[in-house]
Amino acid sequence: MFAPYLFPFKNQHLWLVAEKCIFWEEEGALILSDTHIGKTAHFKANGIAVPEAIFKDDLRRLWQVISVFNPKKILIVGDLLHKKNNQEVTHFLKWKNETTKVPFHLIKGNHDILSEEWYNDAGIILHQHQLLLPPFLFIHNPNETENDEEKDVYTISGHIHPGIRLKITGKQQIKLPCFYFGKHQAILPAFSNFTGLAMLKPTKKDKVFAIANQNIIEIK
Amino acid sequence: MHQQHSKGFKIIEQYLAGMQQTAFPFQIAAWHAIQSGKSGLVNAPTGMGKTFAVFLGSIIQFIDEHPNTYTQQNNNGLQLLWITPLKALVKDLARAMETTLKYLNIPWQVGIRTGDTTTQERQQQKKQLPEILLITPESLHLLFTHNNHANYFKTLKIIAVDEWHELLGSKRGVQVELAIAHLVQLHHTQKIKHKHKLCIWGISATIGNLEEAKNVLLFPLKTKGVIIQAPPTKKINVHTIIPDEIETYPWAGHLGLKLAHKIIPIIEQSNSTLIFINTRGMTETWYQTILTAAPQLAGAIAIHHGSIEKELRLWVEEALHQQKLKAVVCTASLDLGVDFKPVDTVIQIGSPKGIARFIQRAGRSGHQPNATSHIYFLPTHSLELAEVAALKHCLQNNIIESKPTLLLCYDVLVQYLCTLAIGGGFNAKELLEEVQQTYCYQQLSIDEWNEILLYLTSGGAAFHEYEDFKKLELDSNGKYVIRNRRLAMQHRMHIGTIVSDAMLKVKWMHGSYLGVIEEWFINRLNIGDSFVLGGRNVMLTMIKDMTVWVKASQATNTIIPSWMGGRMSLTANLGSELRNIFSNALHSQLPEMKALAPLFQLQQQLSVIPNNNELLIEIIQEKKHWHIVVYPFEGRLVHEAMSALMAYRLSKLQPVSFSIAMNDYGFELLCDERIDLTPQVVVQLFSTENLITDLQNSVNATEMAARAFREIAVIGGLIFQGYPGKNKRTHHLQASATLLFKVLNEYDSKNVLLQQAFKEVFEKQMEEVRLRSALKRIQEAAIRITHPKQFTPFSFPIVADGLNRNHISSEQLEDRIKKMQQQLIH
Repeated sequence: MFAPYLFPFKNQHLWLVAEKCIFWEEEGALILSDTHIGKTAHFKANGIAVPEAIFKDDLRRLWQVISVFNPKKILIVGDLLHKKNNQEVTHFLKWKNETTKVPFHLIKGNHDILSEEWYNDAGIILHQHQLLLPPFLFIHNPNETENDEEKDVYTISGHIHPGIRLKITGKQQIKLPCFYFGKHQAILPAFSNFTGLAMLKPTKKDKVFAIANQNIIEIK
Repeated sequence: MHQQHSKGFKIIEQYLAGMQQTAFPFQIAAWHAIQSGKSGLVNAPTGMGKTFAVFLGSIIQFIDEHPNTYTQQNNNGLQLLWITPLKALVKDLARAMETTLKYLNIPWQVGIRTGDTTTQERQQQKKQLPEILLITPESLHLLFTHNNHANYFKTLKIIAVDEWHELLGSKRGVQVELAIAHLVQLHHTQKIKHKHKLCIWGISATIGNLEEAKNVLLFPLKTKGVIIQAPPTKKINVHTIIPDEIETYPWAGHLGLKLAHKIIPIIEQSNSTLIFINTRGMTETWYQTILTAAPQLAGAIAIHHGSIEKELRLWVEEALHQQKLKAVVCTASLDLGVDFKPVDTVIQIGSPKGIARFIQRAGRSGHQPNATSHIYFLPTHSLELAEVAALKHCLQNNIIESKPTLLLCYDVLVQYLCTLAIGGGFNAKELLEEVQQTYCYQQLSIDEWNEILLYLTSGGAAFHEYEDFKKLELDSNGKYVIRNRRLAMQHRMHIGTIVSDAMLKVKWMHGSYLGVIEEWFINRLNIGDSFVLGGRNVMLTMIKDMTVWVKASQATNTIIPSWMGGRMSLTANLGSELRNIFSNALHSQLPEMKALAPLFQLQQQLSVIPNNNELLIEIIQEKKHWHIVVYPFEGRLVHEAMSALMAYRLSKLQPVSFSIAMNDYGFELLCDERIDLTPQVVVQLFSTENLITDLQNSVNATEMAARAFREIAVIGGLIFQGYPGKNKRTHHLQASATLLFKVLNEYDSKNVLLQQAFKEVFEKQMEEVRLRSALKRIQEAAIRITHPKQFTPFSFPIVADGLNRNHISSEQLEDRIKKMQQQLIH
């Protein structure tokens, strides 16, 4: 893992990590989104063979960031699971309970459709719509926020799997996953590697950090 | 030995005489061959009755077998299986057959089985198959998913494959190969008392490798078979529309529309005209342009291409038959099919890129025997005038392209195994032997076979941990079956989908259907953007449930989709002829070349016109950019590979990024650093040594494989396109081919379908065989390197067409990003 990138923001210290998550120093929170656990298994159950190594690699990366930052809590900004309870999900829970005591907070996303009891049994703290930890408000879908400028909160979301198209020398372009910080809201990249990208078209005022291999690069 | 005067023969001769017709000699030859139980290939141009050569042969056979009772024999079971790639054709064909049968008083049924056949008809056919069944390759494979499908084919005597030249070299052609091997196998193993002989007859237009085409088709029979050819085709008259003024700096697509006014008188003087355009996007533009230039044609001109609503397409075809239209702007969608008798003129806009296609299109006009076909050629940029000069030369000398054959398509095999697993299951050993009877899979090794089986039973070697992946399972009889009913149903829905890109339905907000459009195109648009489809300006309002909802738009700056399918590549034959034409450009007496004289003079003045044994390279400096432009004249596809190879090898000499552009004549490497080339270096850059390794190492191979993977993923069942009308439920199974390619490449590089993507890139996209021979030619060519002070007429269209840029780099991704001031694309 490469050195995280310090991004001082709203008087807080946010460490952007190339493994597609943020460590929020003041709160001791590891923030990530869209892990889509169980997605490869769901595909396989439907006769589409995708390598489960993706899932294992996602877990490995998660373990890596947890052991580096030793967070007090983990905030998952929605879409922890892809669809339903399957063997991959069971495996994930077993892994979680055996490797870490850090509490998992889940801000419910559109893919998180299991019953409240299930999350309860799994030891995952479920937040039905949003979670406020000033100065940030965590909410899964960035389109469901009310851009109320009077409220002094800044939302952090996931859901769309943001990516950025970069034009580099000689008319070439590449697409990379990115962190997006707009005026009122931020959008996290999808943590899982089994996710596509939705291209953003940021304005000059927005801050965008692209993830290129193991580096965080601020786009100016 | 011929039963020249058999009863069947006499009856057919009487029938033709009654219709004031006589049989063509090639038809009689085909009838004889069928009578004596031979198999083979009938080759005749469109409109010469090649259909009747096989169809009437089958009738003669039947009458001869039942000379006294043929008018009373009902329910004979399937006699003639007619495989055709064209759904649109079958209705007319069935009607023609029915008319003949009725006239002859033969109580045969003619059935149709395509994606459009109603459930009711299907049920009816299941009970009793008609004597003649017209079917598409996909629907035939669907029949194989029936448990008892072996029974259907017990009585089958002739398998006819129509338009074989169209199917050959395509994956649908491979489906036909597999189906034939299966039918031959069923025929061998069936226990019937008086076993008849099973014959296979292909019907094909002229291609360069007819013999090979026949061999591929008859491969499972292990017989040589015969080729029955009609006499040479009718005369083709090519008229070139020469622009009044030649632009010395031609730009692709730039010129054509300016010449639109020149085709108006042609349309008006003709009875009915087909205007062929290479891309669907341009048909929309031309339709609008012609209407603007000649408003009086409103209502008498229509548009026809693959993504227009079916009803509208059928209406256009019907109106053409009935002579209600003066002109139709169309794409390859009207290349094939029944003849439109009123059509007497064809206009080809832009280069047809190949001789066979040009002949095919020209043949769409002038149908009376001995009539001359008239085709007008309108260039879209001035250099295309040289292409038409080359085309004319090829026509005169009967030079025509071959259709390459496909080998070892894993995706089609994966699909086929699932098909048979649903249709009663298969024994692995027996099926391997059957599959090896096809030309396509003759070299399939036991290892490859096991790999594919493993992939279908466990998801591949890399998947062991979770047992929830199961497509195929072994049943108690040692047969592979698909037990899961949902998977079986998914597969059935899937068989028809041999497509290259995900298509979305386009509907009006009030619910009526407008057409289909490629997903990637729509993904680039925002809500509120306007685009053109089927000649209508529409505005994107929302995308939901795999459907694009639109409403009418008044916007003037609409986006016209530039469909990928339109990027055809120049064929080898035409490329080689083009080099000859260029080499003699300044002394040519051809009208096209005379018109181009100013362009060639400027080229000669700024750089040089290469001889056909020379390779020209121009290095042009423009501010801080260096353009290296190379002219092999090998077509876009070969240039794609060649440019990647050259860029990769150059970047090994000095770390540098290139941006690549190309057209059919040459390619350009653009970079920010000075590069010095000598003829010695160039020869090394184009060496065939380590060709595959170097190509694989070029970034391009991965990108190209990702593109090729799209089709493979759909055929191989990795992308499920959803149940009709039930798309919501599959939402959680949507993953783009790009994403699947990315994860497979990263986590399971041995995956059979992934390997196929790379293989297809080398064989099909880079045309490896052609690439090798082109590289060999360069090794022996004289290398001419010039340093023009400004862009030359040859280089300009390549440099200007930056649309198709690819890149290659030896620099680290991070370095590349940091290297220059980063800029966002808005």
